[in-house]
Amino acid sequence: MRKIWLVVKREYLTRVRTKGFILSTVGLPLLSVGIFAVSLALATSKTESTFKISILDNLGGLAPQIMQGLKEKLRDGQPAYQLVRTWDRPPSEATVREALNNQVRNEELDGFLEVPRGVLNGEDAALHTRNPNDFQTTRTIGLALNNALIARRLSDRGVHIDNLDEIMRGVDLTMVKVTKTGESKEGLESLIMQISLVMILYITLVVYGMMTMRSVVEEKTSHIVEVLASSIKPSYLLTGKILGVAGVGFTQYLIWMCTGALVTTYGAAVGSAFRPGAAAPLFHLPIIYLVYPPIFFVVGYFLYASLYAALGAMVSSEEESQQVQMPVTLVLVACMVLYPIIQRAPNSPLSVALTMFPFSSPILMVCRITVQTPPFWQIALSLALCVATTIGIIQVSAKIYRVGILMYGKRPSLVELLRWLRYT
Amino acid sequence: MEAIAVEHVTKRFDTVVAVSDLSLHVEQGTVFGLLGPNGAGKTTSLRMIMHILVPDEGAIQILGQPAGEQTQDLIGYLPEERGLYARMKVREVLVFLAGLKGLRQADASARVREWLERLDLAAWSEKKVNDLSKGMQQKAQFIAAVIHQPPILILDEPFTGLDPVNATLIKDIMLDLREKGSTIILSTHRMEQVEMMCDAICLINHGRSVLAGDLRAIKKSYGKNTVRIEYSGDDSFLDLPESVEKINHFGAAVEAKLRPGADPQEILKAAVARGVRLSRFELVEPPLHDIFIEKVSEAHA
Repeated sequence: MRKIWLVVKREYLTRVRTKGFILSTVGLPLLSVGIFAVSLALATSKTESTFKISILDNLGGLAPQIMQGLKEKLRDGQPAYQLVRTWDRPPSEATVREALNNQVRNEELDGFLEVPRGVLNGEDAALHTRNPNDFQTTRTIGLALNNALIARRLSDRGVHIDNLDEIMRGVDLTMVKVTKTGESKEGLESLIMQISLVMILYITLVVYGMMTMRSVVEEKTSHIVEVLASSIKPSYLLTGKILGVAGVGFTQYLIWMCTGALVTTYGAAVGSAFRPGAAAPLFHLPIIYLVYPPIFFVVGYFLYASLYAALGAMVSSEEESQQVQMPVTLVLVACMVLYPIIQRAPNSPLSVALTMFPFSSPILMVCRITVQTPPFWQIALSLALCVATTIGIIQVSAKIYRVGILMYGKRPSLVELLRWLRYT
Repeated sequence: MEAIAVEHVTKRFDTVVAVSDLSLHVEQGTVFGLLGPNGAGKTTSLRMIMHILVPDEGAIQILGQPAGEQTQDLIGYLPEERGLYARMKVREVLVFLAGLKGLRQADASARVREWLERLDLAAWSEKKVNDLSKGMQQKAQFIAAVIHQPPILILDEPFTGLDPVNATLIKDIMLDLREKGSTIILSTHRMEQVEMMCDAICLINHGRSVLAGDLRAIKKSYGKNTVRIEYSGDDSFLDLPESVEKINHFGAAVEAKLRPGADPQEILKAAVARGVRLSRFELVEPPLHDIFIEKVSEAHA
C-alpha cells in the first residue's frame, strides 16, 4: 500500500510541476474568458460604417417601405444604412444592373438590392455586395425587404398599416420544464450547460486517459519499468498511476471551479453595482448536476484510463501508441456524436440502450439525467453495469499490463493478447 | 542457508520454452556468474528470481523464503537495458526507487546523498536525468540497485559503457559489498570479468543448465591442456595438426589447445627449430572463453 502511495505521489508531483500543467490550468480559463469576451464584443457590435445601398426595384414603389426597415443608427448616431438611389422600374434593367455592379466594385456602393418583378409570387430577390458573409447586414436587409413585401400584400388587399414594426413584433418562447417534483424555467442556459457538461466529460476522459497511456509508454520506452517491476506488483503500479493522474485532473478541476465560482460571484457583485436587482448568480446549478456527473465521471475515468493503460502496455513507442488509441478514442467521439439523440428523445429505446451500455453511459447517462431525469432504477442499473464493467476491464488491463510492460518489438495480435491473459 | 535456490524451474511462453528444468544454487557472500549466449534464458531466469515472472513449474527460494512480493526488497537489480525517468531530477528518481524498495523517505534521502557523493555525482543531484552523460546515468542506475543495501545484488552487464576509471570504481564497490556479506549475481558476456570476479558460475543454453559449479573446480576438471605463447617471428611452428587441436590468435600472443595426450614439448621443439623467439611459454587451464564456446557449440552440434 505504501508503494502504491509512492507511485501516486510521483505521478502526481512530476505532472503538476510541469510547465504544461501550469499553463493549461491557468491558461484555459483565461483563454475561454478571452474568447467569450471577444465573441460577445463582436456579436453585439454593429458594422461600424454606413452601408451605402441602391435599390433596383422592378416591381415598383417598394423602396420607401424597405428603407422604413433600415432606420438603425450606428453608435455615433450616423444612420446605419444610406439609400444612394432608387431605380424604379428602369426601362433597361440589364444596363442598370451592370452600372450598379460597377459601382459596388469601385466601392461607391456597399451593395444594391435587386427586387424582381415576380417578387410577390415568390421569385427570389438578390443582394449584390462585396461581402455576402456579413450576416448582421444581410439579415437586416432581408428582414426589411420581407416586411415591405408583407405591407404591400396587405395594402393590395385593402389593409393600410402605418406602423408595420408594431404589427410584426414577436415574442420569445420561454421553456418551462415540467418534472416530477415541480417545474422550472429553462432557457438557452440549460442547453449550454448540457453541452458544456458533455464536452467537459469527453475532453477529460480523452485527455487524462491519454495521459495515463503516455505515462505507461514512457516507462516502457525508458526501460525503467524493469526496475519498477522488480520492486512493486504491476497491478499496484497501474493503480498508482491511474490514481496519480486522477489526482492531477482533480487538482485542475478544483482550481477551475474555484476561479469559476470567484469570477461568477465577483461578476455578479460588479453587475449589481451597475444594475441593481441583477445580483442573482448567472447560473443556478441544479443539485442534480452536482451528484450524478461526478459519480459517473469517476467510474468512467477508471474504465477509460485502464483501457488506455492497457493499450500503452502493448506498444513500444509513442508513435505506435497514437495508432492503437484510435479505437478507444473513437468510442468517446461516438458518444459526442450520439448526444443529440439523447437530447431529442431521452426515453427512446435507443437512448435507453446507449445510457445502459457501459462504454457510453459515463457520458450519455449524465447527459440524459440533465435532459430528463430517468427513473432511479435506470440510473442505478446503468451505474451498476458501468462499475461491473470497469472492475472487469481493470482486471483484464492489469493482466495485459503485467505482461506487456516487459514485451518489446512487435505489437501483439488479438490472439496473442488472449494468451497474455493466461500467463502467470 | 543459500542466498538463492532455484529448483527445477520451467517457464514457457506459448510454445517457446524459455527456461527448462533449471536448478541454481548460489551460496551467500559469493559472486555468481550467470552465463549463456543471447536468448539462452538468462533474463527470464533473473526475472523469475526477482518475482517479475512466476515459474510455471518448480520453486525458487530467496534466503530461505519462497520468492514473492516480500523477497523483492531483498534484491537490488541493474538491468541490461538501462533507464530512469528522463525528466526527473537524479536525486528524486533515486529517492523514489529507494522508496519502492521499502526505504523510508528520510533514510532514502540520506543514503542517496551518500551514494551520489561516493560515485562522484553529488554536483548532478539536482539535474535532470536527461542532462547526464551515458556513463553518469549508468552510475546513477547502479545507485538505484544498491541503495537499499540488498543482501542480493543482480547486475546485468554492469561495466558496459563505463570508462576504466568508473569501471574500477564500480568493481571495487561490488567487492566491498561482497565483503560485507552481499551475494552478487553477475550476468555478462565478458568472460575475463567472470574469471576475475566469480566464485561459481552457471552456463545456460536453450533454457537449460549445461555447466554449473565452482569456477576453479570447473577449470581444473579441464586440466592444463592449453599453452599460452608469446613470441616474435613466424607462426608456422604452430602448424602441428597431430598435437594442436585449436589455435586462438590474440595478435602478440596465441593460445593453443592441445589434443588429448599431446606433449607440449613438441610445440617448443618446433619453435626452436624455426628460430622463433619466445618471451612466454606457459601451460594453463583453458580460458573460460573456450569452455563457453565449446559447451555452447556442443549443444548446437
